[in-house]
Amino acid sequence: MALVRVENLVKSFKDLKVIKGLNFELEPGKCIALIGANGAGKTTTLKMLSGLLEPTHGSIHFEGENKDADHRRLIGYLPQHPVFYEWMTAREFLEYAGKLSGLNSREAKERSNELLELVGIDDAKNRRIGKFSGGMKQRLGIAQAIIHRPKLIMLDEPVSALDPFGRREVLELLEKLKQEATVLFSTHILNDAEEVCESILFLHDGEIIESGTMDQFREKYQQSKIDLVFQGRANDYLKSLNNDPKVISIKIEGNKASVFTSDIEEVKSTILNKAVKENWPLFKYEISSISLEDVFMKVVQK
Amino acid sequence: MNQWITLLNKEFLEMARNYKWIWVPLTFILLGVMDPLTTYYMPQIIDSVGGLPEGAVIDIPEPSAKEVFIMSLGEYQTIGILIIVLSMMGTIAGERKSGVAQLILVKPVSYISYITSKWTAALTLVVISLFLGFLASWYYTGVLFEFIPFGSFMAAFGLYALWIALVLTLVVFTSATLKHPGAAGMVTLVTVFVFNMLGSYFSHLLEWSPTKLLPYASEMLVSDKWPEHAWPATGMASILIILVLALTVIIFKRKELAD
Repeated sequence: MALVRVENLVKSFKDLKVIKGLNFELEPGKCIALIGANGAGKTTTLKMLSGLLEPTHGSIHFEGENKDADHRRLIGYLPQHPVFYEWMTAREFLEYAGKLSGLNSREAKERSNELLELVGIDDAKNRRIGKFSGGMKQRLGIAQAIIHRPKLIMLDEPVSALDPFGRREVLELLEKLKQEATVLFSTHILNDAEEVCESILFLHDGEIIESGTMDQFREKYQQSKIDLVFQGRANDYLKSLNNDPKVISIKIEGNKASVFTSDIEEVKSTILNKAVKENWPLFKYEISSISLEDVFMKVVQK
Repeated sequence: MNQWITLLNKEFLEMARNYKWIWVPLTFILLGVMDPLTTYYMPQIIDSVGGLPEGAVIDIPEPSAKEVFIMSLGEYQTIGILIIVLSMMGTIAGERKSGVAQLILVKPVSYISYITSKWTAALTLVVISLFLGFLASWYYTGVLFEFIPFGSFMAAFGLYALWIALVLTLVVFTSATLKHPGAAGMVTLVTVFVFNMLGSYFSHLLEWSPTKLLPYASEMLVSDKWPEHAWPATGMASILIILVLALTVIIFKRKELAD
């Protein structure tokens, strides 16, 4: 049974149809990444799920909940650019958020202390939020989103604005959150999704163009690629490969080229043979498996 | 109920942190003592700025205590209302504009609590400030001129406070329904101005109008008697406050809070 079932979700702003009919389910206890380019509709989708935006059509159904019930208590949400009351301290804000979510004073206090430690801003807990750096605000944002132990945690681009260290820490935090709740986060950084998520929803231009688990993707797009770097224009050497039935596509950028294939063994030797016979000025020859980024490019181009 | 108290406490804390608890009462007290003092010391003030030319005879009649106090009421009607609108217009619009409302309203917060807690907090601050201002004016009028009976003073305060509460409710309404604090303030001021104009123009037809609360407060002071049409006007003001608050909640609920 899915935690959330989204059916035919549509959102229009005036005449502009931003979300064009989404259908998907979120499995409990999973981490799902919502991937798409800027403007694909990620934020709009999350805002509709969180109740901040009203869908133009379609329904969002939470497991075991009445259709019209207020399901905000089941949700923790972190906007892309969280804004707080600057005059509050981090601890005050967390306790406030906790109490608004239905915790009593004592619970709110305990849970705030616990979370300040978890997200690593314990030393700054009595400082005014107005003095916080972007990374600290992001952590505080995560803490306020999970204070009431929601079943669904939604994070809008939680790591995009962070430096590499902050990114690392937030990703590790997401790993931990996964054990308590379903995590849905949006990102345009594919590596992040690959790292922590089991499932992926590809959003493009307001539509889900591909979805599934990482393993399914690997199977479906089971291709390997050979990266080549030439001294000189790659096009001059690779023309003859175009006719090879085992080669799916060749991507050429100046002196760099990627050859995609379904049969790595055969194409590997074809290329190596040619390279020796025709004396190619090769700089680099590398075999790699397909990454999420390649899948994304392929899917978007379809 | 617990949630409502939490929201209310936050409003009070915010008012303390940005010093509203100091400057709003202070300004109101200043407005209250201004007229008794300047009226009393008018001859000395004229002297100190160079006096009148030789031979000029201007007879300034000594105003009565009641007249002086009613002049104070006029200050609240102009500058007082301006201060109330300016200090409260961002109460909801500001939170939506900055984006913090998104964090708050994604929590299971009741919209009624959110609006009424803000209204209650603002009302508390303004009524206390107004009372301190009135009291200061009453005291200085009493010391420099003559003490007005405390009962009449309290009745006049009650009538006028109700009018101010209505203005405040309007601010909360515009702040909840418009996105920019400036726009909310502007719309409120224009609305109050237009209603005051209409109220005084059609004065004889609109005896029950809340805009008549200020004239009734003056009448109360002059005659020491509860004005004949004061009850319908207070009833009307109370009904309007409840209606506007209800409308605020209804519109706010339907609004899309993001962007």
